[in-house]
Amino acid sequence: MRERVRTVAKKEERWRGLSVSDGVVVGRVLRIHTGTRQIYRTSLDEADVARETRRFRAAVRLARRQLLAVKARAERELGPDHAYIFDAHLLMLEDRKLLDEVEDYIRRERANAEWAIKVASDRLLAVYSEIKDDYLRERGSDIEDVAQRLLVALSGERPVSRQLTQESVIVAEDLLPSAMAELDLTNARAIATDGGGWTSHMAIIARGLGIPAVVGLRDLYRRARTGDEIIVDALSGEIILYPSRQTIASYQAIATRERLTAPATPADEERTSALRTRDGVEITLSANVELPAEYEGVKKYGARGIGLYRSEFLMAKRGRLPSEEEQREAYLEVARLAGEDGATVRLFDLGGDKMGGLEPETERNPALGLRAIRFSLTHEEVLRSQARAIFRAASEGRLDVVLPMISDTTDVKRARRIIDEERAKLEQEGCEIGPLRVGAMIEVPAAVWVADKLAREVDFFSLGTNDLVQYLLAVDRGNDEVAEWFRSLHPAVLQSISHTIEAARAASIPAVVCGEMAATPAYAVLLVGLGATKLSMNPSAIPRVRRVISGIKFKDAEEIARKSLTCESADEVEELVRVRFARLWPDLFPPETLPAPKVRE
Amino acid sequence: MVERRVLIINRLGLHARAAAQLVRMANSYQSMLRLERLDGSASADAKSILSVLMLAAARGTELRLAAEGADEREAIGALCELFACGFGETEV
Repeated sequence: MRERVRTVAKKEERWRGLSVSDGVVVGRVLRIHTGTRQIYRTSLDEADVARETRRFRAAVRLARRQLLAVKARAERELGPDHAYIFDAHLLMLEDRKLLDEVEDYIRRERANAEWAIKVASDRLLAVYSEIKDDYLRERGSDIEDVAQRLLVALSGERPVSRQLTQESVIVAEDLLPSAMAELDLTNARAIATDGGGWTSHMAIIARGLGIPAVVGLRDLYRRARTGDEIIVDALSGEIILYPSRQTIASYQAIATRERLTAPATPADEERTSALRTRDGVEITLSANVELPAEYEGVKKYGARGIGLYRSEFLMAKRGRLPSEEEQREAYLEVARLAGEDGATVRLFDLGGDKMGGLEPETERNPALGLRAIRFSLTHEEVLRSQARAIFRAASEGRLDVVLPMISDTTDVKRARRIIDEERAKLEQEGCEIGPLRVGAMIEVPAAVWVADKLAREVDFFSLGTNDLVQYLLAVDRGNDEVAEWFRSLHPAVLQSISHTIEAARAASIPAVVCGEMAATPAYAVLLVGLGATKLSMNPSAIPRVRRVISGIKFKDAEEIARKSLTCESADEVEELVRVRFARLWPDLFPPETLPAPKVRE
Repeated sequence: MVERRVLIINRLGLHARAAAQLVRMANSYQSMLRLERLDGSASADAKSILSVLMLAAARGTELRLAAEGADEREAIGALCELFACGFGETEV
């Protein structure tokens, strides 16, 4: 094993990235390798079979030594209660059932050890997936873990432990939705990734969970090692590796202060009373949720229902399509959580960067490819089972459904026809179903231009500002190389939002703004000024947005918003916001909460 | 050969931790040790964790434990004790 010997203290190393979720944490690095390992089959000559078997046995011994070390450390640092899982893994590595199967396969099929491990573990996993008891079936993941460890040992790479300790700072190249699902993030202290942007999936979840996160760190993953001390300062976007004693001490002081001044859970009265601007315009704040870990925040921060439930996470979690029954249970849980204000389920936004493995072929341009409603219309059975599950759950709770990535009324009509067919079938089958309102996500620029027509075909609009900005400005939101072109305050974005809200108002249907913009206080005020009365955001953002909205007058916000529509660039809008907000509401908007002035060299 | 019936009383059943304890203990005896569901639908080698986990024995499951070998009496006694104490879990 390659273990670096540290005889001298390392010099501090600093990185600057983009903070996507605030907070300060002093912890230790936990590197997460998120690339999937491709296993190929090679055919061996008869003469090489014995050598391949020896290679496999050596990998088993190496994996065993690693596990013993990990187990000892876990016992020491976390207590025996957390170490037992490694004991189970060790026993699996000693289990003749597994070892013999792999060795037999190598001999019989003259296959390489990697392939033999894959075949043997897949076979075991198939048996486990039949187990009825949820908890016991989960043990299949331990087999995957052990197989992964063996594959890493064969490759000669360093192993990655998925075990999160209390002080873990996750360091990764990028965290894909499936990797996020696999991690127990409630134990993570902070996240730092090489790639990603403000609206990357990881960033959204980190904010939802209130975990500090910094993205765009370029080569941190390559430089950091698991166990290294690290400071994540997500207030300034700075990462410090191998911090000195003095640096740690000063940051620990900041971290403590942060905890003390963090937005506390609002008092009951403040949480549940209607939110109005100072001149009496009522604004509703609801929650965007995805992970069960975020559910707690819905009540805690006083959300008025769930404005956006991202259902595709059900798939990321399982790595396969959830059954109708599994979906029904999940939607019902969401409906119960939302209470009388109800929850809006966004149909699977599959495809693009959120692929759950149904279509392994890579598209050249996934963001513009077969995703969201296009995917659901192509794989009708996916849409049908999801519609059935939502109808059935709606018999016990208030649910709406929203169609993602609609570009015109044809998309809506096709989806509605399928949804209506399933409603009829369920009624025939005598199933209890509830009423569903069907809305359209307005996130494709084309939809903005036909919003008046769309408004006649749906019951409400949901404005997905993340994708709208990405598509309108042709900027990949996950690519930090072009982060400076991702400008939520571009006049074209604001005009699109204004136009959509007007179309909804003319047709007397509600419009909810549910992108990340709504979670940023200054942007939220601008949205209110543009006429948005319903905003949906990650739950932890609700208290701060609530605070600023209750402190402003709608007519002031409206006046600034109108002015912003006539600006010629994002810079000009930002300047307008910076100057006017600071003058009107100095207490609500200290300088650091407003767009930073551009420094021109 | 000796045989006894055992009942799984701990909350999570024969999950990873309990199975690991069982398999570790089973491996400290020479005797062959087998666990079987009473209806005969599944049986497992108590010395193989993969085999034990595949029994998918949840709380409340009753199993037949059989031991055969030089130390069969000690082995079956020790294993039965482990089942009886719910694998030492506080949360039973």
